[in-house]
Amino acid sequence: MTDSREITEDNENMDPRFENLAAYALNSLDSDDERKAVEALIESDNAALAELNELSESAELLATSAPPVAPPAHLKANILKLAAEESAPSLVLLKAPWWQRAFQSRYAVSAAAAILVIVFGASLGFQNNQLGNEIDTLRSDLQAESIVVTNLQNELATTLSDSVNRVASMKSEMAVMEDEFGATTEMVVHQEEMVSELAVANDALQQALRDQIWLNYMAMNEEYQLKSWLASNTQQVSATEPAASGLLAVRFVGNEAVFQVHGLAQPKPGFAYTLWLMGNGDPRPVSQFEVSEIGSATIAFLLPEPLHVYSSVVVTQERVNGIGNDPSGTMVLSAETN
Amino acid sequence: MDEVYRLNYQGLEDLELLAKIGDQDREALATLYERYGRRVFALAVRILNDHVGAEEVTQDVFMSVWRRGATYTKKKGKFTTWMFSIAHNRTIDELRKRRRDRSRENEDIDDHWDIKSGDISPPDAAVAQSEYAKIRAAMENLPEEQKTVVELSYFKGLTQTEIATKTGQPLGTVKTRMRLALKKLRTALSAEMGAQA
Repeated sequence: MTDSREITEDNENMDPRFENLAAYALNSLDSDDERKAVEALIESDNAALAELNELSESAELLATSAPPVAPPAHLKANILKLAAEESAPSLVLLKAPWWQRAFQSRYAVSAAAAILVIVFGASLGFQNNQLGNEIDTLRSDLQAESIVVTNLQNELATTLSDSVNRVASMKSEMAVMEDEFGATTEMVVHQEEMVSELAVANDALQQALRDQIWLNYMAMNEEYQLKSWLASNTQQVSATEPAASGLLAVRFVGNEAVFQVHGLAQPKPGFAYTLWLMGNGDPRPVSQFEVSEIGSATIAFLLPEPLHVYSSVVVTQERVNGIGNDPSGTMVLSAETN
Repeated sequence: MDEVYRLNYQGLEDLELLAKIGDQDREALATLYERYGRRVFALAVRILNDHVGAEEVTQDVFMSVWRRGATYTKKKGKFTTWMFSIAHNRTIDELRKRRRDRSRENEDIDDHWDIKSGDISPPDAAVAQSEYAKIRAAMENLPEEQKTVVELSYFKGLTQTEIATKTGQPLGTVKTRMRLALKKLRTALSAEMGAQA
């Protein structure tokens, strides 16, 4: 189907207010001021918002035009681990335990009762002074109340002592429970780590299988020259490490290439494997890459020049994001290109 | 007797998964990663030409979805458009940072990755059914000038003024070509899907 009213640069009639919407969708504006102006426009103008949404959906199509490359198997596990760490509950101050609050409550009630009795007794004494004809009766009452106060004080002392003993006992029980809980938690954490490691290993194996299938698929369907290991344009890479091997496949038409490696050990901390093209002037670093748990990796890349102008391909260990002009690290794989 | 049903996350729509992410459901995040992780990683590799950097970017993107998923609304456009916008912004930020670092060292090892029109071969009939092949074919059919503007902005991270300077075109022309390229891509793919229906 063709559009009979196709828009061209000649007949384009763009609303000047919308002139920066495409650059906004492509993340190509020159300044924060331009970005804020676009955001203010789409906030107040529904037509501008609709236009931007349409342009942004086209920009999403550009994202899908990137050659498909499989991420390393451990990446998913890393993301889920980070998410788990962020969703862990934050520390909060705990309320006082129930027994402490109960103790505080009982103490407060007893003390209040004692104070009330004392006040009451004092009040009687005052009245006794004031009412001479009732002094004996009131003195007797006061003595009785004093006995009550004394009894209350004794009871309070007993309650306090009992509480102290109960607190000590509960602390001891809690210490035992904490030890048991700590041991259980440690076991659970250990089990979770084992499950996580098994999952990573399983993912790595599945990834290696998918990579192999994907490479075969491309070789068969996208015109990669992969007729045999030693075909003129397909390089089997020899390894200094006995367990490692690699393969470089180049497409018949165009400059797309795929490099695949198996059996490499994990690089030194702070280092990453780096693929180089050699023998056409200065060495060309192609890419730094990581290997899976079983030492596999697959890289899709574009050859700057046809492969035959280079004499060899090599893989070395270089510092992460610190590639120099020449390979300087340990060379682990190499192959002639013809 | 109660029966326990295991939720089939693969059968859930993106927005249903996003709602579960709002409830801190990590299986929902894992399902979104299975669905889009490969495309996000491929985009970052395409722009950065570096698998290690692409891994960091992909991790940041999905952690952004984990943290900010609850703030997504349909007003921000389709969910995938929103997520790939985050991915592209994050990747371009990284690319520009590296470019600043390299310019301080007076070197530009990125030049040899420039895409020329002849570098992209016609779509293969065997893979023409794939979404990737269709979009690549649509890009190939763009006029050369529009393709260059899109390539320099989306994949090389240049601003519209930088593109005008690099190509010697007036800034207004660059803006027009950006807009036309995006609209033509959409029209071409809509027409193809309409033709298949």
